[in-house]
Amino acid sequence: MSCELYDDLLDDYVDGVLATGHGSDGRFAAFAQHLAVCGHCQALVADLTSIRVAASTLDEHIPPPRLWARIASSIDEQQRLPWWQRQLGGAYSAWVPAVAAASIIMLLAAGVWSAWQQRRVETAQQAAGSLSDPVSVPAEQHYEQAIAGLQLLADAQNATLDPETRAVLTKNLAVIDRAINESRAALVQEPASTLAQESLLDALETKVALLQDTVALASDSGWTPEDAPGAAKELNQ
Amino acid sequence: MRTADLELAARCRAGDAGAFEELYRQHARRLFGLVVRMIGSVEDAEDLLQEVFLQAHRKLSGFRGDSALGTWLYRLTMNHCLDHLRARHVRMNRLTDSLDDDASEEPMAPAPVVPAAVSRLDLERAIKLLPEGAKAAFLLHDVEGFEHREIAQILGISEGTSKSQVHKARMKLRTILRR
Repeated sequence: MSCELYDDLLDDYVDGVLATGHGSDGRFAAFAQHLAVCGHCQALVADLTSIRVAASTLDEHIPPPRLWARIASSIDEQQRLPWWQRQLGGAYSAWVPAVAAASIIMLLAAGVWSAWQQRRVETAQQAAGSLSDPVSVPAEQHYEQAIAGLQLLADAQNATLDPETRAVLTKNLAVIDRAINESRAALVQEPASTLAQESLLDALETKVALLQDTVALASDSGWTPEDAPGAAKELNQ
Repeated sequence: MRTADLELAARCRAGDAGAFEELYRQHARRLFGLVVRMIGSVEDAEDLLQEVFLQAHRKLSGFRGDSALGTWLYRLTMNHCLDHLRARHVRMNRLTDSLDDDASEEPMAPAPVVPAAVSRLDLERAIKLLPEGAKAAFLLHDVEGFEHREIAQILGISEGTSKSQVHKARMKLRTILRR
């Protein structure tokens, strides 16, 4: 079979370009001869033609009348704003969850840094012979605070995620929670274990990142029942 | 056509209240359909098209008439759609990458051929499964009727890439519709 020789002509043929644009091209004539006897290419051309015809007759989506009213109103609002606010656009409401999440993360970063500094001092004190509580992991408190804040935001917006995403998210959170619990159990067994402490902080950090993504995704998600299964499956591949 | 576009853009810039509405009326229908199919949600499409027209209103001063006003609007729209999809996909991938390794692929059940008359509903569903680049080129070419030269301008790609993306889309749709 020499079908592959004509791969580049197939779409032009389906689009009707060959008949007008390549009429004098010898390859077009060769392809026409090949097509007359090749069942594989005949089926391909028929299928692609069906798709093309259906695509050109898809139903029109009509924007609701309120859309222009919203745009006109936003333009009016923008024109009343000072120039520097106009440059930022009018999407303030969409920013709110993201800004809240970002604030929590900044507070978390500051807290973890401060805890890390505190830990360095404690380690130095331990090395110098003074006693301190080896079980305490100060950074953990900051992660817990961030998680609590993000969890509230995520719970509030959870309903906007499609069920399939929500199910995977719940499952992933359960896996992370299991890792957190296992790390805590390991710390109870071996309070001075650096590995267990690092595992706990890693798991907490993963949970913060997951919740942060959830909040961001939920804020721009517009799930409708009919589009969920296929899209989610595709993204999982 | 270009002269009419330049005049309309100039009227918008001059603050002619009716001019921007005229621009909206000329293009909103086709753009709305494109956005709905690109991002798969009517509600999101409203928000996104609102952002597109607000950005168009702010950026009209930069329109020099190098391309048709419609092409310029399509470019703004597709940039918004692709940004929206990429941001959503990055987040979705991070969320849905299973932390357990028990995800299994559904086996594909092949059927002989695509039905001679493809149902529009089936095609709408299949389009949602296309990768974003192929989907964009397919929608612009097969649904909106643009030529590859124009799609290249709108998407900022070469004509050859536009052709290969449309081909990729059609072949993937064929596979999906044969299931």
